[in-house]
Amino acid sequence: MGLPYEDIKREVITLRDEATSEDYGAYPDRRDIKQKLDFGFILLDKPSGIRSKTSAFIAKRILSPLNVSKIGYSGTLV
Amino acid sequence: MNRANKAIALLLLGGKEYVALMHVHKDFDPEELKKQMLEFVGKINQLPPVRSNVKRQYRERTVYYLDILEVENKDVLFKVGVESGTYIRKLIHDMGEKTGLGAHMVELRRTKVAGLTEDDGLSTLQGLEDAVYFYEKEGNDKPLSRVIQNIEKAVDFLPKVWISDFAVDTVCKGAPIAVPGVVKFNPFKPDEWVLIYTLKGEIVAIGKAAIDSSSLKGIEKGIVIRTDSVIMRPGIYPEYHKTQ
Repeated sequence: MGLPYEDIKREVITLRDEATSEDYGAYPDRRDIKQKLDFGFILLDKPSGIRSKTSAFIAKRILSPLNVSKIGYSGTLV
Repeated sequence: MNRANKAIALLLLGGKEYVALMHVHKDFDPEELKKQMLEFVGKINQLPPVRSNVKRQYRERTVYYLDILEVENKDVLFKVGVESGTYIRKLIHDMGEKTGLGAHMVELRRTKVAGLTEDDGLSTLQGLEDAVYFYEKEGNDKPLSRVIQNIEKAVDFLPKVWISDFAVDTVCKGAPIAVPGVVKFNPFKPDEWVLIYTLKGEIVAIGKAAIDSSSLKGIEKGIVIRTDSVIMRPGIYPEYHKTQ
């Protein structure tokens, strides 16, 4: 038995064929760093002994020169 | 980070997996202990520890699975899959109480969050600091773009609807998704969390399904998804004009 949502295969149902314009937006794998900072997350290997909140605070401080002002976390419960 | 923050809360839907090391206080029969530990699989009631950020009242949580990996003397190494908000230290304490042996947690490592594992590009705070340094001081963005991953990867387990370019900007301003905006979709049920994507695969917003997706094929108008949190900022896609 696994976690909920694990290994779910979802079917894609297409209502109509439609293209997207290359003039705006960016494919996720072609984002530049600035775009990535807005659409990104970091999978952090938290040092043991410090709280998730503290790690998020440190990460925010490290990233602050790059205009990252908000950092959230989905923290470990120990 | 930044606007992607709103999506992080969705990770709580997916549950977590840990590997924990439990130290048992008295001698025990491994088979008997194993049997009693497995009784914790299913619904449990847990009182959050004193030192926690939530209200101290019993909460129901689900233990999805429990796998004992190794028993050595009084130490038991096990893997456990749980609902978000389950305290493993407390779970181990309660196992100790129930068996009358007494137990405490020695070590804990989270191995999965909503399908993300340690193999999905884990980085340390030091690694992050170095990556920022390379980017800032040397103009090398490679390490940083390895450390920062696309938020879509974290929420990928939920159903999606892909919307037309013309609908993107209105959703960025908080509008719901109506039938004409939907190009393709993964099946969803009413009230289910659904991710709203562009045709390029960028996340625009997160919403709740207003209808069952099976009825989508037969209708031409009406609300499909109610937008809850917007991730993409307005102005990236062109503004929609009804006259177009």
